[in-house]
Amino acid sequence: MKRDPIYGIMAEFDSAQALVDAAHATHQAGYQKIDAYSPFPIEGLAEEIGFHHDEVPLVVLIGGIIGGLTGYLMQYWMSAVDYPLNIGGKPPHSWPAFIVITFEMTILFAGISAVFGMLALNGLPMPYHPVFNVPRFALASKDRFFLIVFSSDKKYDPAGTRQFLEGLKPRSVSEVPS
Amino acid sequence: MSAAPVKQLDLMPPPVVKTIAQRSLIVGIVFGIVAIILAFIRPDEFYRAYLLGFMDWLGVALGSMAIIMIRHLTGGGWGVVIRRIQGAAMRTLPLLAALFIPVILGIHKLYIWAQPLDRVENTHLREHLKDITKTYLTTSGFIYRAIIYFAIWNLLSFLLSKWSQEGDKPGARDNTGRFKAVAGPGLILYGFTVSFAAIDWVMSLDPSWISTIFGLVILIGQVLAAMCFAVVVERILFNYKPMSEMLTPDFVHDHGKWMLTFIMVWAYFNYSQWLIIWAGNLPNEITYYLRRLNGGWGYVGLFIVIFHFAVPFGILLSRPFKRNIRKLVWLAVWLMVMRYLDLYWIIEPNFSKTFNFTISDLVVPVAIGGLWLAFFFRNLAALPLLPLYDPSAVEVLDPEPHHPENA
Repeated sequence: MKRDPIYGIMAEFDSAQALVDAAHATHQAGYQKIDAYSPFPIEGLAEEIGFHHDEVPLVVLIGGIIGGLTGYLMQYWMSAVDYPLNIGGKPPHSWPAFIVITFEMTILFAGISAVFGMLALNGLPMPYHPVFNVPRFALASKDRFFLIVFSSDKKYDPAGTRQFLEGLKPRSVSEVPS
Repeated sequence: MSAAPVKQLDLMPPPVVKTIAQRSLIVGIVFGIVAIILAFIRPDEFYRAYLLGFMDWLGVALGSMAIIMIRHLTGGGWGVVIRRIQGAAMRTLPLLAALFIPVILGIHKLYIWAQPLDRVENTHLREHLKDITKTYLTTSGFIYRAIIYFAIWNLLSFLLSKWSQEGDKPGARDNTGRFKAVAGPGLILYGFTVSFAAIDWVMSLDPSWISTIFGLVILIGQVLAAMCFAVVVERILFNYKPMSEMLTPDFVHDHGKWMLTFIMVWAYFNYSQWLIIWAGNLPNEITYYLRRLNGGWGYVGLFIVIFHFAVPFGILLSRPFKRNIRKLVWLAVWLMVMRYLDLYWIIEPNFSKTFNFTISDLVVPVAIGGLWLAFFFRNLAALPLLPLYDPSAVEVLDPEPHHPENA
């Protein structure tokens, strides 16, 4: 597939509230493929850009279940199959003794899944991203707030979208090359 | 943020609270009469059921006080929005002190150590009781200690309520520091007094059995019951102003998270007790579980593991469930029933080797509950649902930051 030479159009705002309002207006106007960037987390911003389905919990749940099963089966294999030992006259397969490790393995796997699941779902690590082609974007990690409409959006057209974003009273609007 | 004017709300509870108080009183009196009849015709069964009912409702009151103290230390709007509900539950402690009198009256029927030693048939137990009934497990000691526990609980409740009520009047002084100064030591005192009370009133039913975590097992059940109770009452109030304005999905979410936390800690404490006793396998310790896993009691235990822990745990993992008060309330009601069943499984097998559920086990806890709820709803009706002039009130009336999804 040939890459679109334009990645999207980006608007720059002065405050978190301005960004939230602009994201709200853009989403209301029917744009689906939009994203927002800010120097710190803004409560409610994710919902305004139409991001409702966080898939990290599912990854964590699956990780936890795999961890629990691994923990239990590992102990079962060690204690009852590979090297059975008589401990206090109890049967080799004594589930009460296995629960603690099973629980810890559940937590460990769930925790690791949370971190790596989050990274993977964010597409990280990402050595190249077109938004950095706009020099002013460096301010996104300082004190500016950015909203982008991707060129892959159905409603996107270079002139109309630019005009729409300018109507939101941004500090600047720039085209983002791919 | 600029000092935005707080929402103008009539903070008094809706009149329905008084109606519920009256109906609870009727239930309490009707079941109370039946309970008194049972006390005469079946005294043994009556006193066991009485201890069960007493421990169950005491748990809601004490757990509420503990959660109020936790909130004074940690802050958070989730606690402000249910503060007056839990305060009303806490202020039932004088009634619970009075309701303890029948336990003292039934001491010889309930506690084997309170009976003359020559009536104890088990020779091992008689040897064991010879020493301990001279030192710790004495009738007078039992009564004096109970007086101390209730004095401490009522003092904490009195101070926390008194300062909280100051926040209802304009120009109230800032009591945050005072609350913290009482809540910190208060929580420690709560931990110790509940542990001792659990030993005196429940663990000593089997005086040869010892578990050092038993006090915490009772304690965590109390805070769980209290959080579930707060969710049930906030759901009732949610149909009316001002609670319908105050209770946001964020607060409900927090209450659901507390329920999940308490369920997990409950399972953790119970499992620790079970694992250590199972691993040690000592004759005087395993008696507790041998009794509770045989003679039909094992099914009750399994039911508790599944429906007090596993299923509610799974359900509470869901975020949308925790944020929806209309759904969460049903799990809260269910868990309150489970608290009753758990206490039943702890208390009743001391008296019966095989599964045994008497009419008293149902009637007496309902009678105590009716009276307790009548007093609770009377307390709830007496004060606004929020101390408007307390600094914490803004956490509910002017919540920050803005959550568009709640709109």
